[in-house]
This record gives sequence, C-alpha cells and structure tokens, in this order.
Amino acid sequence: MERFDAVVIGGGAAGLGSAYRMAENGMNVLLIERGENVGEKSVYGGRIYSWVFEKYVKGFQDAPVERWVKKERLTFLDERESVSIEYSSDETCSFVAILTKFNRWLAEKVEDAGGLVVSGIKVEDVRLNPLRVVADGEEIGCDAVVIAEGVNPMLAMKLGIRSDWKPEEVAVGVKEVFKLSESEVNSRFDVESDEGVANLFVGYPVFTHGGGFIYTNRDTISVGMVVRVDSAMKNKIEVYDLAEKFRAHRDVAGFLKGGSMIEYSAHLVPEAGIKGVPDALHKDNVMIVGDTAGFVLNRGFTIRGVDFAFYSGVLAADSIKEAMDGGDAGLAGQIYERKVRDSAIIGELEKFRKALDVLENTRFFNDYTRMMVEIMRGIFDVKEESNRLYDVVMEKSRGRKIRMALDFLSAFRGL
Amino acid sequence: MESIENRLGLVSFTVDSEPHIRPKEEKCDSCNLKVCLYVCPAKLYRLEEGKIYFNHEGCLECGTCRVACPEDLEWEYPKGGFGVHYQFG
Repeated sequence: MERFDAVVIGGGAAGLGSAYRMAENGMNVLLIERGENVGEKSVYGGRIYSWVFEKYVKGFQDAPVERWVKKERLTFLDERESVSIEYSSDETCSFVAILTKFNRWLAEKVEDAGGLVVSGIKVEDVRLNPLRVVADGEEIGCDAVVIAEGVNPMLAMKLGIRSDWKPEEVAVGVKEVFKLSESEVNSRFDVESDEGVANLFVGYPVFTHGGGFIYTNRDTISVGMVVRVDSAMKNKIEVYDLAEKFRAHRDVAGFLKGGSMIEYSAHLVPEAGIKGVPDALHKDNVMIVGDTAGFVLNRGFTIRGVDFAFYSGVLAADSIKEAMDGGDAGLAGQIYERKVRDSAIIGELEKFRKALDVLENTRFFNDYTRMMVEIMRGIFDVKEESNRLYDVVMEKSRGRKIRMALDFLSAFRGL
Repeated sequence: MESIENRLGLVSFTVDSEPHIRPKEEKCDSCNLKVCLYVCPAKLYRLEEGKIYFNHEGCLECGTCRVACPEDLEWEYPKGGFGVHYQFG
C-alpha cells in the first residue's frame, strides 16, 4: 500500500491551499482530483479577496489575475429601471480571476513545491482505523485526510462529519461568459486595462433571495444570477433561463452588446453562514475545508468564499504539521478544529450571524428595491411640475414606515 | 434569448455511458412537486405523459436537483475524468 503524510481530496481552492502549504512545509502530500484537469470543476461568480494569497503564496505577483477590482457597484433593478451606487478607488483588496485558470496556476505551485497532484481519479471512500483513501480500486495509506470535495459533501456525509444541505441553506448560481475585446471592456466599464468592476444586482428578475452579478475579466465578462434553492422551488423559478432573463434587462444588456457567449456554467453556493458550519469539522484525522465545511460569507454587498477556502486548507495543513512535529500525528483533527474556531473564518461568520436574518427578509429584495427605483423616478421626473423629495418618500413609504425603520435598522446592524 | 440547448452546446463534456444520477421511477410518478423540472440549470429533467425523464448528458454537476428533490434521489459525481470540463469557471 502506498503511503503519504496526507491525502487531499479535491483540486479546488481549498484542496490546493492545503496541498500547497503541506508541500511548502516539506510534507509528503498527494492531492486527488476527480476532474480530468485540476480545477476544472470549480465555478464561482468572479472575485477573490487577495489577502490570503498575498500572505501565503510565494510568487503571487505572477498569479493569473484578470483585473484588480477598482470599482464596486451595487444596483437595484426593477423590470425596466435601475438605481446604482458606485464606489471607486485606487485602493483594492480583491481581483477578478477565472477560477479554473487560477486553480491550474495553484496546482503548478503545489507541484513546484514538491506535492503530487493527480487528476481524473475520483475518491470512492475514506476508511478509518487505519486511515486510508480508496481510489481507482486502490488503497492509499496516510496520517491525515483533508476533504475538499466542494459544496456537495458526498464523502463528508458518508463519514458522518456533516449533514446534507437543506434547500434554504444553499443557492444555485448560473453564469455566462461573454467574449469581447480588452479595449471594449475598458471603455464600457470606464476602466484601465488592469482595473476591473464588480457589480452586484438586487431585484429583477427574481425579487427574492439572490441576485445578479457582472465581473470584468480581461477580455471577457462574467454575468449571472444566484437564487436560493428554496426560493426557486417556492416561486417555480426556471433556473435554466435565469441568466438569460437577467441579461435581457436594458441596464445589463448594454455591457454585453456584440459579445459572444463562450461558456455557460452552474454551481451551488453555501448560503447559511455560520449556521451551515457543522458542530465538528473533523472525525479522527479526517478534516473538512472550504465549501464542504460551509465557509462562505454573504453580506449582500460582499461574498467571500475562495479566500476562506484557501485559508481553511492552510489551517488544515498547519494542523497536520503541528501534530506530526509533536510526535502524535493523530491529533491533527483536534488541532484543526481549534485553529479554525480561533481563526478569522469562524470569527467573521460569527460576526455576521445577524446578516442571515437581514438577508432572509424578502422585503429587501422586492419592496425596498422597487421603492428605491420609484423614489429616484419621482425626483428625477421633471415635467411642467416636479416632486419634492419629501413628498415622494412619504408617498412611497405610506403605511409601512415603522416596518421599514425596523428593517433598515436590522440591516444597518447586521451587515 | 439563447436556448438552454444552445448554451449547453458551448460547454465541453466527456459523457459516461452510465448515468451518475438516477431518479426512481415509482417515486417520481407519485411526486406532486416535480421541482426538478424547473430548478435544474441545464433543464435535463423532462415530463412526458406524466413520467419524469432525465438525461445525464449536459449535467453541470451543481447538485441542485439533489438538494431540491423531496425524494431520495440517487446522485453521485461522475466517475473520474468524466463529466463537465469548465474553462471559465
């Protein structure tokens, strides 16, 4: 039986983070990816917060960054109109990347550091006592296993580390990528070649839990929608046409004009914040990281997943090393548990526990989004006569001022 | 609007002859929700004469049907090397 210090299951951001860190620390690590090519099963919206890569990855300046986000835009959409808030700055903390390409680059870093990466092989089982991984009919022995299998926790469920997601705990995202030219992207979004835009949308066409997005890649644009699975079920939303409906809106279509679609993709996103994280993140020396553990934070205007995924992989790697250095490799799972609970991952998810209640409130996705548009229409509509801001706001909020005040206060506190 | 069939035509797949998702006929027959018909982002579930038909070719491997299905849907990832190959994920 072949033997490794650790086996990492899954070649997404979490698994690659874990394998990279272990390889860098001189450990004998094997990463197994089910896709024919490493990283090809990953799908996300488009933006990565850079801090964790700057902190842990040597040579990060050579990463396949599409554009650094210099403009953040939040848009409220009704059927025909929109209101946008834009924040523009020279400072940046995030970049747009094609995740499959970014993963491939990370896999090269793992191999450069001496880690072994194999793809096209699906892990069938993880067995305890003694710990081993079953893949391709063979058993591979190891001291620790890091499960980075993504949002569908097939192995983690089998091992009883976590339960399955309920429809209200995950959202389905659909994405279309459009080819343009670099100069077209620059002029349409009013940015320089290395600058990018992250635009999130609330309201149309779902007017419920979820929203749209546009991210500027170098010479392509990613556009799509996310909707919580329970809301899609309840409202009978035809998810297969969601991205098409969204991009048909006049304030989305303009960005894509003349571009040709080059790929369509779909993926689930953990949406339950801290409530989606299981009580225990390990069983013996098997640890769960990334989406498998539910490490995604949605605050409505920012969504973090890839940085937490990579970071949790690093923490798992460090726990395995610490346990091995201490002479009892079997303690890695417990050390990981403590490290994650003490880290910014759980810290942030806890801090924004109340954001879950805010984002549960459909009035933000429907009533208040429409109201925002109507107020703007009211004040900008100038004919012979025009409206006072006060009168417009009073009229639009008639009969629901207390409800609104409470809702906005909850958003102010929670987000 | 671009049809879902055309959009799936842009995606690269290696299709296994064996399906990795298997709806159970008797459970589908008695299911009155049939959410699979609209939540699947690839529109791979179809209703013909009251029966649910599923085609695994074109599966984007998101897992939405697995989470949404009120019954115990048999769902696995495709075998190693098979399934969708995303290039702009």
